[in-house]
Amino acid sequence: MTQEVKTRPLNRLKSMYALRAEVDKMYQVGGEAKAKGRPVAWVMLEGWANPILNAMDVITVYPENYSSLCAAQKLAGPFLERAETEGYPTHLCGYARACVGYSARMVELDGQIPPEAPAGGMPRPNLLISSAEVCDARFKWFQSLGRYFDAPVWTLESPSPNARESLTPGTYERNTQFLINEIRQFVVFLEKLLGKKMEWDKLDFTSDGTNEINRLRWEINQLRKARPCPMHTRDFWSVMSAALYRGAADPTVIVDGNQKMYDEVKYRVDHGIAAINRPEKYRMSFEGLAPWHSLSFLDDLADRGWNFVCESAYSPGRPVVIDLSKVSDPIERYVRKRYRSLASAIEIEFGPEEAPKVKEEIMREGTSYRLRLKHIRDYQCDGVVLHVLLSCRAASSGLSLFSDQLLDVYKVPSLIIEGDIIDTSLFNPVESLKKAEAFEDTMDHYKKVRKNLGFEW
Amino acid sequence: MVIATKKGLARVQELYQDRPQRVKELKAEGKKIIGYLCIYPVTEMMTALDIVPYRVLGDMRESITKADAYLPPVVCPFLRSCLDQGLKGKYDFLDGMVTSHICDVGSSLSGIWHYTVKTPFHYNIDTPHTVHETALNQTKGVMKAFQKALEDFAGKKITNAKLKKAIILHNEQRALVREAYELKKQDPPLISGAETLKTIKVIQSIPVAEGNALLRDIISEVKTRKNKPAKKNARLLVWGSILDDTPLIEMIESLDANVVMDDTCVGSRPFFDDVKITPDPIDGLAQHYLVDIKCPRTFRARDFYAAKKNYMEDLKTRFSYLSDYAREWKANGVILQSVRYCDTHGYEVPQVRDYLREIDLPGIYLEHDYTVGALAPLKTRVQGFLEIIG
Amino acid sequence: MIPIYFAGIDLGSTMTKVVIVDESEKLLAYVVQHTGAEHRRLANKVMEESLRQAVITIDEITYVIATGYGRINVPFADKQITELTCHARGVAHFFPNVRLAIDIGGQDAKGMKVKNGKLIDFVMSDKCAAGTGRYLEVVAHTLGLTLEDLGPISLKSTRKVSISSICTIFAQQEVSNHLSAGVLLEDVVAGLHDAIAGRVARMVRRLKIEPDVVFTGGVAKNIGVIKALEENLGCPVLVPSEPLLSGALGAALIARETILKAQAEGKSVQTTRRKLGEATFFKQDDGILSGN
Repeated sequence: MTQEVKTRPLNRLKSMYALRAEVDKMYQVGGEAKAKGRPVAWVMLEGWANPILNAMDVITVYPENYSSLCAAQKLAGPFLERAETEGYPTHLCGYARACVGYSARMVELDGQIPPEAPAGGMPRPNLLISSAEVCDARFKWFQSLGRYFDAPVWTLESPSPNARESLTPGTYERNTQFLINEIRQFVVFLEKLLGKKMEWDKLDFTSDGTNEINRLRWEINQLRKARPCPMHTRDFWSVMSAALYRGAADPTVIVDGNQKMYDEVKYRVDHGIAAINRPEKYRMSFEGLAPWHSLSFLDDLADRGWNFVCESAYSPGRPVVIDLSKVSDPIERYVRKRYRSLASAIEIEFGPEEAPKVKEEIMREGTSYRLRLKHIRDYQCDGVVLHVLLSCRAASSGLSLFSDQLLDVYKVPSLIIEGDIIDTSLFNPVESLKKAEAFEDTMDHYKKVRKNLGFEW
Repeated sequence: MVIATKKGLARVQELYQDRPQRVKELKAEGKKIIGYLCIYPVTEMMTALDIVPYRVLGDMRESITKADAYLPPVVCPFLRSCLDQGLKGKYDFLDGMVTSHICDVGSSLSGIWHYTVKTPFHYNIDTPHTVHETALNQTKGVMKAFQKALEDFAGKKITNAKLKKAIILHNEQRALVREAYELKKQDPPLISGAETLKTIKVIQSIPVAEGNALLRDIISEVKTRKNKPAKKNARLLVWGSILDDTPLIEMIESLDANVVMDDTCVGSRPFFDDVKITPDPIDGLAQHYLVDIKCPRTFRARDFYAAKKNYMEDLKTRFSYLSDYAREWKANGVILQSVRYCDTHGYEVPQVRDYLREIDLPGIYLEHDYTVGALAPLKTRVQGFLEIIG
Repeated sequence: MIPIYFAGIDLGSTMTKVVIVDESEKLLAYVVQHTGAEHRRLANKVMEESLRQAVITIDEITYVIATGYGRINVPFADKQITELTCHARGVAHFFPNVRLAIDIGGQDAKGMKVKNGKLIDFVMSDKCAAGTGRYLEVVAHTLGLTLEDLGPISLKSTRKVSISSICTIFAQQEVSNHLSAGVLLEDVVAGLHDAIAGRVARMVRRLKIEPDVVFTGGVAKNIGVIKALEENLGCPVLVPSEPLLSGALGAALIARETILKAQAEGKSVQTTRRKLGEATFFKQDDGILSGN
């Protein structure tokens, strides 16, 4: 009898490694630049500040990424504990608490990077840019870092209307103007702080670069609809950071890396190559933020034939195609190229027949299941994993309604896994894997239900 | 028309025990009632349209059974309880529900409420998060859009004259609340902390004009009543997230302390600044709701354009009113409290404590989970704190 | 002169302790009994026992201070003071240079900052069992051990494992997983001690750690936790010979000071007419504690 050689469950993309390495470079570049006296900004994951800061030659470092990096190397614990000692409630965001602990250590060491910090650490900030986009508690986080640094804090506003208000006439134009005015004020602040003027063609460069990266990421994601799915969520997460955190700093390299990735994924689609080295038994969506400390949990699932084909967070939006040649104001150009109205997004995503229904549902009920569940239908998922985060309100509050609607409309069941983005003590891998095994029966059952009801998958 | 037979604090107690009693009577007479969540919706506009604004609150005495399906246990239990009450039909008498982007969970609750509770009129005001000038302009636009939606619902226009009249009436309420708080400067205070909370809760549950009459009665009543609060060793200021019922305050006041002042939103927070009367009333309203109300949900800084942040100066800009409160109300200690899972107040706590340390005012932080059963361990903390401050 | 006596009673969640002292701070009686569900009404019995030990009658006690979780349920007490203040006072009696007192009891853990024998700040664990004696009790039960076994077993450990779960129930599972993976019992127990000590150390660090650090409460009888606490705090930890005593002793000493101060100032102190009737655990009129 021949011994069966078991391959690793995940078939990772070769093009991923180069992009992932770019993220580590961020800390190296940050440290070197700091040593040369260049200003360093701590920034959050959001859509507006990054190209502007890079156009003004500010080094951008991302505490959210750094916290997840610490978690991935299982080194976040002492920073979390330090935040607790500093008097921060333990229910606050794991990213924030790890960052607070790091900052407190830095102050203790007279601004030096703590020796226990992985990847070379984050250099001390000259400036803190926080955002209310995606999660509005984040601006309280950076405000409270005033305890540790004398760096100024800028809170970049971003409108956050609920779906129904978004569709109300006048809202989109008002919010666009708000963004334009807010960003203009932000640029004035930066010019004053840095003692130099913005060079607008540089902004066009970083802006166009990040838009192009978004377009490529969006195209790649379209390819993931194929059966079997050619790219796993783990690869998506690995390269997400490069796009979102390094895209504006080094657009040429990141565009190139994503183009290579596109080519590799396309090759896989054309040749029927899957993202997992097992038969694709279940196509899954990962809803919520990643468990950075326990990513190998997804490998255990891949070993059972679970292929994660899409995810709710960090997804690129459909690129905006719009003629702005007549807009002379560079800030207005910058905003309009990135900020799309919900109405037009619905029109493009759903087409002339379904779009009016979606809009009508939103006006009547405040939400449309079609909009929320669209990716499940597009990617033909058999199940979803809901990652309920014990320290994150933003990513956890809508999950239950989502899973109810999903089962109701598309007969796709959800598996709830409780855990955290950073704090390992809140995640129980053994128990979660047991739950996942049992969940396969549920998915099998609903596969039959969908078949009997005449669903496409 | 039903005439209330009880007056003053007795009427407060009656409505505290049956909060929607009065608005249900008014509804039977044909009035429209609109619920509002937190203190950011522009209630003046409702009053201007002869609609009764009614504060939506939770019920910490009732366990959450229905909201679990929509909001997980890791989010603000106050908002979970509000939704739970809505899902249980406790707010079925409302003709409308107005929310605001107080925090992400608040906005999320708004969408879920719209989808599940289905109050006929629903609106979420997207209030900005900073006091940048651009944000102030945005607030005006957002308020005008809300005004239009409200007018469409009511089928009539809000004229500037009517809006100004409503602002004056609401300002009158703010002044009366401050007058009542003045009586808490005496030692012992003429109104207890628990009575204050009940009173604020009740005036947010009846038409503003009726609330004003009630406040006048209370002010004259407490000046002469016999059974006023006892003199206690400690005079405390309570800061923090929403407290919409009395158990925590009653626990504190069962010890050797009176709660003489608060910075909470079923308390002084919505009442301590007037709305300025401006040629375009929206200007004054925007200033009030975005800038003047001091909930930590809005980002403030000493100087947005400064190249360096001076932490202590920044704290002074943000929190010096707490020092004023402590001085004027002769508070010798501060209870900082927050409901668990409130990010907004959670990040603020270490900063407020830094500030209190700077002005040499003792403080203690209590985190609670919006129930009435788990107060015993907190009682030990408060008593220990009182023993320290002597 | 007629001798006068003072009593302190510490009604804890697990143990009830009574101390009687005289005017010169001399310890005349010290009694400890289980509080337990069925013993909750026994504050009187413990008091009677200590009166027998001191060979005095209840009428000879001038002032009684009750402390601890059940302090409001002692009908013969003149005053209730929190265990925070009483522990600090009791610990300072044995260790005058104490700056940080740590008490880990059955239901909670406390850190007390002490200056000149007086409490100046404190931290307390929340209502979760993690970081308390209860945590150890639950896991010991899983292992088929008693609480007393844990300390000596852990001393044999050479390679303690890390127990990362905060939740007591998860920790139970984690312990079972370690044992089934072949980890030695002593290494698991040492890991548990480290987990509880780490949690408490994080909490008390908020008070800034300064020597002398004194550790009391039921868990302070466990040599394994003492060692783990020293490692986690990075400084020596002193433990009184009778670690359960400090709360009741502190209460008795404060009772004594209250009366002596009043006598010196020529003031009278209001006292309760003492009768050893049956105590109920919850006062009828205390709506907050009974949750109504």
